[in-house]
Amino acid sequence: MTAGGGALRGVWRASSGRAGLAFLLFLVLLALAGPLFLPDPFRQFGLLELADARPSAEHPFGTDQLSRDVLSRVVSGARVSLAVAALAVALSVTLGAGVGLVAGYLGGAVDGVLMRLVDGALAVPRLFLLLLVLAVPERVPLVALIVLIGATGWFATSRLVRAEVLRIREEAYVRAAEALGASRRRIIFRHLLVNTAGPLLVTATLGVGDVILLEAGLSFLGLGVQPPTPSWGGMILDARSVLVTAPWVGIFPGIAITLTVLATNLVGDALRDVLDPRGA
Amino acid sequence: MGRWLLRRTVQAAVTLAVAVVLLFLLMHVLPGDPLSRLEEGRPLTAAQTEALRARYGLDRPLLSQLGTFLSGLARGDLGTSIEYGRPVSTLIVERLPATLLLGGSVLLLNFTVGLWLGVRQAVRKGSTEDRWLTTLSLAGYATPSFWLGLVLAWLVGIEWRLLPPAGMRDPLAESGFLATAGDLLRHLVLPALTLSVVSIAGTMRYQRDAMLETLRLPYIVTARAKGLSEERVTWRHAWRNALFPVLTLFGLWLPVLVTGSVFVEAVFAWPGLGSLAAAAVGNRDYPLLMGATVLVAVIVVGANLLTDLAYAALDPRVRLT
Amino acid sequence: MTRTTWLGACLVAIVSAAHPSAAGAQRAAARASIVIVTGQEAAVPVPTLMEGPQASIANSDIADQLFLRLAELGPTMMTAGDQAFRPLLARSWTRRDSLTLVFDLDPRARWHDGAPVTSTDVVFTFARARDPRLCPRLAELLRRITSVTAEGGHRVVFRFAEAYAEQLYDAVFHVAPLPAHLLAGIAPDSLASAPFVQAPVGDGPYRWVRRAPGEFIELAAFEGFFLGTPAIRRVFFRLATNAEARLNMVLGGQADATDNIPPPRSNVARVRASPELRVVTVPSPTIGFLLFNQRDPRDLARPHPILSDIDVRRAIGLALDRRLMVRATLGDAGEVPYGPASPILWIRHGAPRPLGPDTGEARRLLAARGWVDRDGDGVLERGGQRLALTMTLPNTSAIRQQMALQVQEQLRQIGVHLELERLEGPVWNERRTAGRFDIDFSASSQDPSPTGLSQGWSCDGGTNVAHYCDRGVDSLLEVAARATDDAGEAWHAVLRRIEADAPAVFMYAPSYLYAVHRRFTNMRIRPESSWIALREWTVAAAPRDASGY
Repeated sequence: MTAGGGALRGVWRASSGRAGLAFLLFLVLLALAGPLFLPDPFRQFGLLELADARPSAEHPFGTDQLSRDVLSRVVSGARVSLAVAALAVALSVTLGAGVGLVAGYLGGAVDGVLMRLVDGALAVPRLFLLLLVLAVPERVPLVALIVLIGATGWFATSRLVRAEVLRIREEAYVRAAEALGASRRRIIFRHLLVNTAGPLLVTATLGVGDVILLEAGLSFLGLGVQPPTPSWGGMILDARSVLVTAPWVGIFPGIAITLTVLATNLVGDALRDVLDPRGA
Repeated sequence: MGRWLLRRTVQAAVTLAVAVVLLFLLMHVLPGDPLSRLEEGRPLTAAQTEALRARYGLDRPLLSQLGTFLSGLARGDLGTSIEYGRPVSTLIVERLPATLLLGGSVLLLNFTVGLWLGVRQAVRKGSTEDRWLTTLSLAGYATPSFWLGLVLAWLVGIEWRLLPPAGMRDPLAESGFLATAGDLLRHLVLPALTLSVVSIAGTMRYQRDAMLETLRLPYIVTARAKGLSEERVTWRHAWRNALFPVLTLFGLWLPVLVTGSVFVEAVFAWPGLGSLAAAAVGNRDYPLLMGATVLVAVIVVGANLLTDLAYAALDPRVRLT
Repeated sequence: MTRTTWLGACLVAIVSAAHPSAAGAQRAAARASIVIVTGQEAAVPVPTLMEGPQASIANSDIADQLFLRLAELGPTMMTAGDQAFRPLLARSWTRRDSLTLVFDLDPRARWHDGAPVTSTDVVFTFARARDPRLCPRLAELLRRITSVTAEGGHRVVFRFAEAYAEQLYDAVFHVAPLPAHLLAGIAPDSLASAPFVQAPVGDGPYRWVRRAPGEFIELAAFEGFFLGTPAIRRVFFRLATNAEARLNMVLGGQADATDNIPPPRSNVARVRASPELRVVTVPSPTIGFLLFNQRDPRDLARPHPILSDIDVRRAIGLALDRRLMVRATLGDAGEVPYGPASPILWIRHGAPRPLGPDTGEARRLLAARGWVDRDGDGVLERGGQRLALTMTLPNTSAIRQQMALQVQEQLRQIGVHLELERLEGPVWNERRTAGRFDIDFSASSQDPSPTGLSQGWSCDGGTNVAHYCDRGVDSLLEVAARATDDAGEAWHAVLRRIEADAPAVFMYAPSYLYAVHRRFTNMRIRPESSWIALREWTVAAAPRDASGY
């Protein structure tokens, strides 16, 4: 906890990290508190009069083709995007750490097979893996989408953890402790935790930005978050047909994606500077 | 060296084989019917569907389908597209030139503009320009390419009417080399720009860091002390050294590029593999999607292999064991 | 020069290449060309191969330029009887008896390679088209033709299984002859991968020039076409999968024509505002309807727990103000259909007017069947079951998406809860075909012949995914399909019976809005095949600078 607090303080001390963190906090607050003061994102304000209305005092970001408030939908999309990204990244970091640990610890044939599989999976860009999987079933619920995005993001992490396990195994003090009869497993775990927590946290933070972009891209192709649940990528897809007549419908979700990913990357970079000066 | 080369090549082949089997299983163990692609409003009868299933071999067991797929792959046969009714390999070959043109332009932009800006930033570290370029590169890295493409097509192509918002060439373009090339170039600008933003942003950052590190090295300090011009020190002495680690990122940019081209080609109606893959997703054209993905895996593995080889050939410090 | 100036100079050079000094000849050639931008790429534009996923509008648009039918449907679109047809490949036809039709081919007709078109070609093509293994869809459509034989080089004899009004239509509409001298040596199975498909040789007004994959297909006027060489010399079918991109290409001068200006309606205004373009309204072969599943989607052996009740179906229909919805969504470019009859079906003329909304009657019907809101949540219940239904629709249709939301709202007002399930096109189709839906927002594209109605609305219809079955409708359909005189009244009886049964609520019949460059004159767009009359289009003489980018 104290280490985490220290890292946070470190991030806050860097001006770019502070900007990123502040924006993310603001976004989370807005996403949570939005329903208190924003209109229902599904409410139609009048199909005939208020479809694709310009930004105004009542609708600061304008309305979309179905006369729904774009601001409400952007905020509501933030909730979805952040939740999907956070959960998917948590899953992939856990999976990556688990597989890396098993491969590094057991070694031998298990390691060989696992790493060949990881090599093979890494040969295909993540988007294509997801396209293949998502194009088959007829309707992918949000939970399944999160699981699939998470399940295609752990390959690099597992390599990182495995390398760390192998390194620790060879360390002189681990061998010494072993010779003294201490449990090898406990030593490895303790040192692993200390040594990989930082890099994993950095990977996870940067991974959140990647997943937000990935989810937006999938939704833009119609394979991600399914309507009517608002998502930034899906909103841009819908806005495509009114890009010329009502540009605000698509501009704002795009800005939201860019700012959010920018903010997570800033925080991730700052974290790396604090936790892992070698990699900076 | 020879043994290392052989081992590395075999390793790449194994990786590719694993990837292909993974892809096949991934696609076929999930529920869903590949033949659901039908013309809206003109559904097939059950008998017609059965005939089609037999034609595409979908009525046979999974392992038998895998066997057929792999033996076909060995012969360069990727099956038949459901949507186009033609061999997938033919479709891919037809679309390859457009993708190579776009991808080549993007790599060119990446390794010229990206490198140049990165060096500028490093030389002027801490200046306003450096800070602005850093912010821009970070923003560029965070911008979804499909959105950027839509916005550029709208602003430049439709509002300002400066460049065509879609397509690769005008079918009525005048003949003659100059006119044809000019037509192609005007169509190329927007998609190439959109697609290169992400990789330029990345290359800039890597080049800046690598350059900063090099500028701190003693020999640069010596060169400066000798009274060489700043321009000469930067480009002749420092950049040469700092270029190397950045060039090896080629293998890293390729997957990014391939992924981006799916969106960018679809947005700009660029007749390459990316828009073919995007259409295959929309049409649930499994054989086509599969073929495109296998090709992508081949490209990625091949590029990594090449990068490793180039690295080994160029950098004597790499231990070839 | 500094680097920035160089960059600027390059940019200027790129942009200024936009307006090159065009040679006069080239500009004239461009004026006599047409670039039609479409959303789908024609893969196999060859008759008898357009089956399954290839039975697409993209393929038939090209095939209709390359290959000539025996005769064409006249402007009335009357498919019954022989009066409405006009000669094409056949210069005349006669009847030997009620089961035999004789065509005399025009001896001037030539394939694009110069060979004459003969009766052998017609016999060859129909042999393929009637083989259910090769062409399941065509074989079904041509099932009432029993034989096609040649009598000499230019006479073909069609025999039919029974006497009916649409014999001529069946013989000429569904398939255009192929060149036997080029294809007889190719095994029917391997035709799709034969070089012929990559460069088809036809006998139509336009011949194949080239395909730029993913970009366009180029056709050129067939010099010496026996019905007159077309005035438009070159035709490009350019591809842009996104509807908005298509519109922008036309507005930006990169294309001359597009079918189906996409919603919202502000796009129509954009086309109207352009001095170079005109909007052409064409009745469409499409109707959109809310299809009620008669079976339980969870167990197709059982009737639907809610929708098998005709009064519930009627109440839903009465609750909807279809005219308002059509006006809000389509403006003037659409109407409410009566029964499953699209605007191009000739049986539409003289049919009754569709009913208006009556929410009071809708509520009464539901209450009479025991549907009451006891818990006051705004949704009716009966015996612990809520009147809640799911409606599936494809995310590809902007019209249906917009209407679905209005349907949802209007049904809420009579206490029916409607959940919308917006699906990817192919997924939606799969669900629909498997019968896994409560209500499906369907749209169907109809052939000009009303006999196609039996596919969707008879008990054993091939596309009757809702398992709607009324033996009364079946027998009325049979009577109408056999009718020789007064077929119109027989078909109206079918429509009335279907409306009374309420197997669906027939929501909208759109008109298609085309954007076409003003330089084209004598312009006709046909509902059954948009560009089929292209050979008769002309180009206005007045030279005006048609500058694009």
